[in-house]
Amino acid sequence: MKNKIKRHSLIEIIEHWIIAFSGIVLLFTGLGCLPLYKRYYITEIPGFGWTADFYNVTIVHYVASVVFVSAVIFHIFYHGLRRDFALLPKRGDISKSIKVIGAMIGLGKEPPSEKYLPEQRIAYVGIGFIIILLTVTGIIKVLKNLEWIVLSPLAESINTLIHTLSGFIFIFAFIIHVGTVLLFRSNWPLLKSMLTGYIDEEYVKHRHSLWYEEIKKN
Amino acid sequence: MKISRRGFLAFSSTLLGSFLLGNQAEAIEGKYATIIDLTKCDGCKGEIMPRCVKACREYNRDRFPEPKKPIPPYWPRKSYEDWSDKRDKIDTLTPYNWIFVQKINIDGQEVNIPRRCMHCDNPPCVRECPFGALTKGPEGNSVINDKLCFGGAKCRDVCPWHIPQRQAGVGIYLDILPKYAGGGVMYKCDLCKDRIKKGEEPACVIACRERLGDKAVFMFGRRKEVFDMAYSRAKAEGLYIYGNTQNGGTSTSYLSKIPFETIEKVINGKKDRFQMPVKIENKIESTFNPIGKIVLVSGFLSMIGASIGAVLSKKSSKKEREDEK
Repeated sequence: MKNKIKRHSLIEIIEHWIIAFSGIVLLFTGLGCLPLYKRYYITEIPGFGWTADFYNVTIVHYVASVVFVSAVIFHIFYHGLRRDFALLPKRGDISKSIKVIGAMIGLGKEPPSEKYLPEQRIAYVGIGFIIILLTVTGIIKVLKNLEWIVLSPLAESINTLIHTLSGFIFIFAFIIHVGTVLLFRSNWPLLKSMLTGYIDEEYVKHRHSLWYEEIKKN
Repeated sequence: MKISRRGFLAFSSTLLGSFLLGNQAEAIEGKYATIIDLTKCDGCKGEIMPRCVKACREYNRDRFPEPKKPIPPYWPRKSYEDWSDKRDKIDTLTPYNWIFVQKINIDGQEVNIPRRCMHCDNPPCVRECPFGALTKGPEGNSVINDKLCFGGAKCRDVCPWHIPQRQAGVGIYLDILPKYAGGGVMYKCDLCKDRIKKGEEPACVIACRERLGDKAVFMFGRRKEVFDMAYSRAKAEGLYIYGNTQNGGTSTSYLSKIPFETIEKVINGKKDRFQMPVKIENKIESTFNPIGKIVLVSGFLSMIGASIGAVLSKKSSKKEREDEK
């Protein structure tokens, strides 16, 4: 049997999949909050009849947000206080990311990486920023519906537009994230490690040589 | 330009202040309200057009849609909503007619009901517009921003009275994805927003008083005074009120000698587009808000749990390291 190296803790795996699944529900119901599903006959697909009523769609959106918001806040506070900063970008990550992506499509050689690829660190900050925008504007929407805060007409428009537009960016980010994992064979071990927490030693030696050296040193 | 830390704080708190109106009752419910007294409305008998309708159309004329033709259908559907050839229609709500007088007959007695947006206290159209095109002004009116509106007509779907009306072939959607998303612009009464901002009355209110004087159907004014008047008149004259509790409360209250349950039944029998249901629950308040509170509480608990968890795991890993040494 090949040697395995622990890459993710159980907490990280649970966080990832909770955010992923509640995020998918939020994306679907968020899109359904736009007047699109009726026009595009989605509401006529068996099992999707409930999406014809905006109130149903919004209730599911709210329920999923209970899970999503809790997981996002947990992630920020837990890893922030533990100072788990390996996923935050480092100097030179942008140029290295270009090389990593180039290598994925067969151009050039991949630079040596730490525990995370430079492109993963940038993607993390990008998707994290969108998620924070969605969470904050979403919470403002909740507070405004509760009438605990009363927004001026301008502020209400801006907040709503930011939530809707960043929702669209979230869809693109989601597609790119899932796409790069599934489309490139070189990334498949990463999916396995997000499911089991462990990754092959050979893979680490080869792709995350800087991290491997560090592990060996300790 | 360099902004000092204190300067930045002062600037951002002013900005925040102008965004948040506070949560006093007036900011929530709005400054003004209207009584529509059905005991006095005769639908402007003998006139070609009811005065309120005429005044509304004249005052808001410049804001009516001028669609570019040909209008693209709502792909993949073949339909689109176009009222531009029916501008003269005054017996229903259209993008060109924001108030109409609904006529019903109850036991041989004609009842005329001026119908327009009720201007809810917690308006679903405003709370649910995905583009922020609908807002509630401090005057208490729900206003559609025709420059932001995509014309998806969600506001009409979530409105208990289905008041907003759509015109295709106008609006911002034509500049974005005209074929695939958006459907025009929604139109409805906003209580003559520019007039009430200046403290003046809406056009319909003035026009009605010009005809009926002291016996005018509409009474527009400070919310508290208007509602006090509605309640005291209802009590003194044995009238029924509509609009004060429906959908969690609105800033319009109808007064009638006939119970609104009867009016509801008669309109329902007519299959009119504009019904007058008596029992309307505000689903934002009854359904969304309890879940919203759970979002806030669970978010807060999660923060506490994460902080405790982080401290504990840090301690245990520190101990492990020390043990290794």
